[in-house]
Amino acid sequence: MTAAVMTDRPAAYAPAGNYKLSAAGLLRSEWTKLWSLRSTWIVLLCAVVFAAGLGALISGTVPSDMEELSGAGMAIDFSMSGVALSSIFIAVLGILVITGEYSTGSIRSTISAAPKRLGVLWAKAAVFGAVVAALFAVMVFATFFLSQALLEGTGMGGVSLSDDGVLRALLGYVAMIVYLALLAIALGAILRNSAGSIGFYIGVIMILPQLATLLPWEWVSDVTPYAPGDVPMTTTLVDTANGTLGLGESWLWMGIWLVVFYGLAAVLLKRRDV
Amino acid sequence: MNGLRTRRSLVDMIEIEHLTKRYGKKTAVDDLTFTVKPGVVTGFLGPNGAGKSTTMRAIVGLDAPTQGLARVNGKHYSEFRSPLTEVGALLEAKSVHAGRSAYKHLLALARTHGIPKTRVQEVIDLVGLHEVAGKRVGGFSLGMGQRLGIAVALLGDPAVLILDEPVNGLDPDGVKWIRLLLKGLAAEGRTVFLSSHLMSELAQTAEHLVVIGQGRLLADTTVEDFIAGDGKSRVRVVSPDAARLAEHLAGPGISIASPEKGVLEVSGTEAAVVGQAAAAHGLVLHELRTENGSLEDAFMQLTADAVEYRQTTEGANR
Repeated sequence: MTAAVMTDRPAAYAPAGNYKLSAAGLLRSEWTKLWSLRSTWIVLLCAVVFAAGLGALISGTVPSDMEELSGAGMAIDFSMSGVALSSIFIAVLGILVITGEYSTGSIRSTISAAPKRLGVLWAKAAVFGAVVAALFAVMVFATFFLSQALLEGTGMGGVSLSDDGVLRALLGYVAMIVYLALLAIALGAILRNSAGSIGFYIGVIMILPQLATLLPWEWVSDVTPYAPGDVPMTTTLVDTANGTLGLGESWLWMGIWLVVFYGLAAVLLKRRDV
Repeated sequence: MNGLRTRRSLVDMIEIEHLTKRYGKKTAVDDLTFTVKPGVVTGFLGPNGAGKSTTMRAIVGLDAPTQGLARVNGKHYSEFRSPLTEVGALLEAKSVHAGRSAYKHLLALARTHGIPKTRVQEVIDLVGLHEVAGKRVGGFSLGMGQRLGIAVALLGDPAVLILDEPVNGLDPDGVKWIRLLLKGLAAEGRTVFLSSHLMSELAQTAEHLVVIGQGRLLADTTVEDFIAGDGKSRVRVVSPDAARLAEHLAGPGISIASPEKGVLEVSGTEAAVVGQAAAAHGLVLHELRTENGSLEDAFMQLTADAVEYRQTTEGANR
């Protein structure tokens, strides 16, 4: 009789599914999260339109008789003049990728699914970094060719990718914006508050180093090139001799700041209650 | 076959050992120890601010204990290779980004574990959100938010379920639905741990009870025993000679209160004893009745004691 072996209390439940938390899973999850918010589409669209539009607009309005405006370096400065503005959009979005989870409480779901926590930070950085890299690689080159077409006939026309330093400088712009995007995510993870993080980014990372150069002390202007928002500058120059840092130094300091910011973010993420 | 499956029953549980959690100077949970077993719904009862949510957050590793341990199946939650299939948790309503749809929220969580879309659809149907699954969560009512939270908890088909105030904001139909759902899940052999500050709610759903007040364990017992044991039946006597009767009844283990003139509430004895005492001394009785404490009374009594205890210790420290 089967009834005889039945107990009044059944055996503990054993889940049937063979599911497992994985790094690939975390990446796919962050990908889903990023694109399932309307703000992502809007902000990325704004970033691309402003960067490309401003570059094209400025390039298109250069008078052909201004002899002093010439050379590949200046041509790229002109065509990429919208990238600085665009970087603010990207930084704000990067911050929101993580602070949005804290402000809405969805971080509790996220951390419950990935209780070791750090994987979430790496996945967010990897997904957002990759999206920004892909988008801005397209944007930077498209804007370059567009503005070159518009600059035809001026002193800044006729610049080609094979010219000395041009390709490297354009890739430098992509690197700079990816670096700032990654910095923004780490900053959001550290401060956990949208307004605070955006305020800190704009006030301390973007504006403070520029204001500080007005101070009368000499050491300040020696230090500001090493500020986290300023170190990528040299990578975007066609002639790196014009940079305050050397090219190698510029890359080195981007790496140092990322290690510092992510180190702090990781320690805090591990230690703080969610 | 059967023997193979029962082996798991020994470990499928939540263990709280000497758990203490302080936020600054405030102690939210104070040296709490209990276990939650599979196969029954265990209620976690306590007034607001008693430390229920903190304890549940410690179980899923959101809060690190100041001291002590919270383990599931002998492991810390973060050690699991597939946390969502081990423990499903509903912690606070709307642990969701307001701008994301219910479906995408579930899908994002499912993807961390490689849980297929079919399972996402399954839990959406199970909690009755299919019509609004594509809408942004920001527009959800409290009840819809709770249903989504329950869908999240069930997503990994977990053996252990932890639900913090799941009936909050649900309409009567929803309350009935979740009651049946939880009982069904427990009957399948799962560990179901559910908190509430409403005794009446737990009385209808839970078999076992863990009661806390001010972060301390007050009772760890079955619902039946809780009502019978700690609910303390008492004898209500109405008599014009109440004061003299009280003198004759007084003794060790017996407490007598007089809520109004001519009325006695006697605990620690039985109606028959009171009646005999009155007869022996020729005292007139107008009423003699045994009052059984309800779960609510028992709960009130336990938590009132906990509050009192707290206040006197604080006074003494000053």
